[in-house]
Amino acid sequence: MTETDLVAISPLIFVIALAMLIIVADIIWPDRDDISTGLTVAGLLVGAGLTVLVAQSEAREIFAGAYVVDPLTSFLDVLFLAIALVTVLVAPDYLRPRGLPMAEFTATLLFAISGAMLISGSRDLLVLFLGLELLVLPGYMLAGYAKRDGYSTEGAIKYFLLGSFSSAIFLFGLALTWGFTGTTRIREVAASLAQLDTASALAPALLMGLALLTTGVAFKIAAVPFHYWTPDAYQGSPTPVTGYLSVGPKVAAFALILRLFVEALAPIKADWTPVVIVLAAITMTLGNLVALTQDNVKRMLAYSSIAHTGYIMVGLAAYAGAPVGSEAERAGLEGLLFYSVAYAFMNLGAFAIVSALQHRRGVTSQIETFAGLGRRAPWAAILMTLFLLSLTGIPPTAGFFAKAYVVLAAVQAGGWVSVLAVIAVLNAAAAAFYYLRVVVFMFMRDPPETARPVLTGTMMRAGLAITAVMTIFIGLVPPVTSGVIEFARVAAEVLLVRTAGG
Amino acid sequence: MSLPETVPFLGWAWDDLLFLFFAGALLGTGLMVVIGRNIIRSGLWMICCFGALAGLYVLLGAPLIAAAQVLIYIGAISVLVLFAVMLTQSKSGPVGLVFHHQAWAGALAALGIGILVAVVVAGTAWPLAETARTPSPTEELALLLFRDYVLPLEVVSVLLLAAVIGGVFLAKREREPEETIVPAEPARERMPAPAPAVGTRELTP
Repeated sequence: MTETDLVAISPLIFVIALAMLIIVADIIWPDRDDISTGLTVAGLLVGAGLTVLVAQSEAREIFAGAYVVDPLTSFLDVLFLAIALVTVLVAPDYLRPRGLPMAEFTATLLFAISGAMLISGSRDLLVLFLGLELLVLPGYMLAGYAKRDGYSTEGAIKYFLLGSFSSAIFLFGLALTWGFTGTTRIREVAASLAQLDTASALAPALLMGLALLTTGVAFKIAAVPFHYWTPDAYQGSPTPVTGYLSVGPKVAAFALILRLFVEALAPIKADWTPVVIVLAAITMTLGNLVALTQDNVKRMLAYSSIAHTGYIMVGLAAYAGAPVGSEAERAGLEGLLFYSVAYAFMNLGAFAIVSALQHRRGVTSQIETFAGLGRRAPWAAILMTLFLLSLTGIPPTAGFFAKAYVVLAAVQAGGWVSVLAVIAVLNAAAAAFYYLRVVVFMFMRDPPETARPVLTGTMMRAGLAITAVMTIFIGLVPPVTSGVIEFARVAAEVLLVRTAGG
Repeated sequence: MSLPETVPFLGWAWDDLLFLFFAGALLGTGLMVVIGRNIIRSGLWMICCFGALAGLYVLLGAPLIAAAQVLIYIGAISVLVLFAVMLTQSKSGPVGLVFHHQAWAGALAALGIGILVAVVVAGTAWPLAETARTPSPTEELALLLFRDYVLPLEVVSVLLLAAVIGGVFLAKREREPEETIVPAEPARERMPAPAPAVGTRELTP
């Protein structure tokens, strides 16, 4: 370990230090929500700046090959910091009326984000696992943050039990992989697996390791049939936390897939491709079908997030199903990354609107809450429509381009993956029903007589502005679109060069 | 006096006999931890379980890890857990635990997975099985820990800190106990209906 290692990893250290600083500040000035929120917002901006600064230097492995700072790391880190920023901006409007403190919320959120950042550059199985734990452990606590609310606690317990169970499964898979290859370094695992005879079947232990790893990861991204914790955890959590849970851990789990499956397990990709294709197909379809029947918007968005997991997996399947070294391989990964960015902003935006409506205590997230919103709070209704249209995939929003990229990549990949493209398009059409149902409620129903004005604070407006601007700009403004695409391409190429070069 | 080369009458290596003993003790005590109804006894069985595991580490030629296991798990963590249980529990624990309803399904699943793992491990030609097992001196271990694996080592401490902060927040008493948070969600299937909430009045002024 040298000081250059520390400089390269400085964004991560900065985020952890920020979390500790907030706790200390809370001890000195207790109950000052403004201090912890201000510190977090300023800190996240500095952290993003630091990430960009570090990204300027040459990509290299640090900590004896356990961590790497390459374009993929920077891409994901900036995205994670943006997710945290929007969450922190949206949270006070919901938490303060309910008497929940901001300091513990922001500190825990920052710890979770540091876990995500650890995953994004991880080059070692052990670091990967610890990053995953550092990501999800604060997540359990955030899900149960409204500790006097029975639903929040119930959701948190379900999330915790199934989450730790899946972590154990994942760890066992890592152990078998390590036992077979004799190393925890991802580069060496890939090199060791590349020497295997591809014609013959995999050794039983490796096959079992692969199965356990796939199961563990599928739990974390909430792919069907490993999604059972999702609806309850999402509905029970405080709404800003739900927004975070639906994007932060999901994108981070996809980062883990990129580092583990696309890098370490690439040599045996033929063995896991069919599983990814099947999982993607049933995740999209089941998520959308169940979402159709939901009357609670938070629960509906939970199932919709499951469906979106499926769409992102289409990008992964396009990579996996494409011939090695082909253009479609890169397009698949690019689509996956682009989709993650678009999904993060549009989904956070949708949950921000739900949080804003729930500013007053006692307001539920039932679809009736949205009745007549177009008249009561036109701006909220218009923004919600924007986010829902983007989630549906209507041009020219970010969601449209995201879907277009993964579907095109799937078509390019050919074979069974192109069937997946057809399923994705059909699903997007079906999803329009439940997204647009909310729009119908907002603009074509009369508001209930008991409805009271929607209150929004400055921070909430800032959070909404960021998500809305990103949702529109990623779709509509060519420089932004191509900027994200270019960044995603560079990030995807890093993975491909490394897997090709061994 | 010296022991014979192999176990008398059975012809096994002593290592194998010891492994059988420790592995059996590990499984048996582990089972006692899970099926016991008295949580203090479960805690005591857990100490035995950790002890058997330490024995396995010694057999594997990792005395330092065995010592750490005894010192940290038996000496610190178990005692901490027992104290926490004694300080927080009122009178006796619940007689029938929730998870006992599915004990048979759980036992069958565990048995199935155990057999599967055994078959898989036995059926695999482990590429590294032939490499000689070298005893790892403390110095080498320290170098590994503080050079190659320094990042995970440090991350573990961050993980623990995050867990402690989260745990303290969830466990600490509220400052204003009379205030109750209104369940934000209406009743949904599979859940008991919430108690009439105070704040719902806000909706119908």
